[in-house]
Amino acid sequence: MDDLLQILLNGLSVGAVYALFALGYTLVFSVLGVINFAHGAIFTLGAYFTYLLIGGGVGSNGLLAGFQLPVGLPFWLALPIAGLLSAAVALGVERVAFRPLRKRNADPLLALITSLGAGVILVNLIQLLMGAESHSIPTGSLGSLPPALSFGGAHIRTVQVLLLAVSTVLVGLLTAWIDGTRSGKGLQAVSEDPVTAQLLGINSGQMIQIAFGLSGFLAGIAGGLVGLSVSIAGPYFGIGYGIKGLGVLVLGGLGSVPGAVLGGLIIGLAEALVPSDLSGYKDAVAFGFLFLMLLVRPQGLLGKPLPNKV
Amino acid sequence: MDTTLLQQMLLGALLGISVYLPLRCGQLSLATPGFYAIGGTVAALLSTRITALGGDGASYPISSVLLEMAVAALVTGILALGIGKVVLRLRGIYLAISTIALVEILRVVSLNLSFTGGAIGIFGIPQPFATPEAYVVFTSLLLAVVCWLCDRLERTRPGLAMAAIREDELAAASQGINTANTKLLAFVLSALVAGVTGVIAAHFLNSWNARMGNFDASITTLAFVVFGGTRTWLGPVVGGLVLTALPELLRPVGDLRLIVYGLVILLGPVLFPQGVITPERLSRWSRMLRQRLRLEAPTP
Repeated sequence: MDDLLQILLNGLSVGAVYALFALGYTLVFSVLGVINFAHGAIFTLGAYFTYLLIGGGVGSNGLLAGFQLPVGLPFWLALPIAGLLSAAVALGVERVAFRPLRKRNADPLLALITSLGAGVILVNLIQLLMGAESHSIPTGSLGSLPPALSFGGAHIRTVQVLLLAVSTVLVGLLTAWIDGTRSGKGLQAVSEDPVTAQLLGINSGQMIQIAFGLSGFLAGIAGGLVGLSVSIAGPYFGIGYGIKGLGVLVLGGLGSVPGAVLGGLIIGLAEALVPSDLSGYKDAVAFGFLFLMLLVRPQGLLGKPLPNKV
Repeated sequence: MDTTLLQQMLLGALLGISVYLPLRCGQLSLATPGFYAIGGTVAALLSTRITALGGDGASYPISSVLLEMAVAALVTGILALGIGKVVLRLRGIYLAISTIALVEILRVVSLNLSFTGGAIGIFGIPQPFATPEAYVVFTSLLLAVVCWLCDRLERTRPGLAMAAIREDELAAASQGINTANTKLLAFVLSALVAGVTGVIAAHFLNSWNARMGNFDASITTLAFVVFGGTRTWLGPVVGGLVLTALPELLRPVGDLRLIVYGLVILLGPVLFPQGVITPERLSRWSRMLRQRLRLEAPTP
């Protein structure tokens, strides 16, 4: 029984990261109807920002070799700043990879390629500046918190509790913003129909920017938290999360915020429940779910039914 | 030019055509690397496990390579037929994501099966050709045949039906086009090209593992087509050749080369939303060429 509790807790905390990650995809998808393939790169960037802000030194490769900020910030301060920096980068990605296509009324499919180009540039910039080696955020950066807590016999690392707590708070805030504020309603209107929203006096362009900014912030936070939980395994470490995030996205329903959260938790739990002798197949769990879901119910668990285009 | 690079460019062009075929009828399928990986695995298994294929020693017979291609085509074709029937009910981004999932599932499964060599893969795949030059000749021939077939396809009813579906699926269906079968045909042809390409690649690379078909490969091959153009077979060929060569040609800029590569695939679709090669541009170029030739020819 304790084992099961342990597995569930592990699964929940991993699932919480998937959920944060997929929420970033969802925000952009809901307003533009495309997937931002640079999202994984921004997640990676968030991890590196956090690492630098808490005063981590750069390894011996890369142009910034040996660089270190003169003062290290505490983790609770570094994380939101890293989130804001990531949001700024996401706004930049929107500007160079999405806006020019929108201006020309080009096929939205092309945004898959341009955002991927932006992602390639970001990942390789990180590699150029920081080198390809892994960096790890020292566990001591959580200050006086103990490394692990125990709940009724199950031990859970403090980092995982933090992951779960931060994700829950962010999801709550996001939902409250979307449902309860004027700008959140604006976002919903744009995701329903950008042209009509514009006619009704909602600044669609601004809403798209807000969506990108928020998605970048969430990716940056998720990156920082994962960087603390497992080390930052080089500039490419966001890519695996990027693809798995797609699975979460489809499982929950493209463009649905509660769906992304539910999908993240389900896949996190399902992966944790894979027996250890089959652990090699763990990475296929998300895609297996995704595949089945697309065939049985393409709109996902909580998505709206697909309109038949005429 | 480096013959190894030339060979990779030719393989890139073939994979470009494989992604292009479903896109010609408006279906974004990213399954190409999956079928490519299956083709390579078929070649690796047959050539290393079945001694009868090895011939009388010396070098691996080309007839065995052709046989492997036939088997790979059969396997990928049947798989594509089954998978296509199911996934082609999905549209747009849903189809794209489901094919990404397919490729990832195939990768994880082949990473964990013992007969595909797991993470290490299969080594010592025999060489039918002694030099890279011979590979280039063989692959060029294959590319030429595939291009010729695509050209024929685009001028006949099924190819025109594909273009019609891309422009407007409902209108195409109302004109009596069997849209489901036409899409399935494009998907199966795409898988065949990818599978056969995998056979050559496996021999050329000498070893084969699960990493040959992954998400990165899906997106790189898609970039070939988006860069080159989705409306004539020449587009993906040019895109495959140029974009495969690009990182190597950029070697002089050193560490910046992947950043420049990223810039190219970022700016390509913005500057050329239809791809560099479009039918209109082709006919304009050929008109200009003809005019120039006429000017230079002596008037009788």
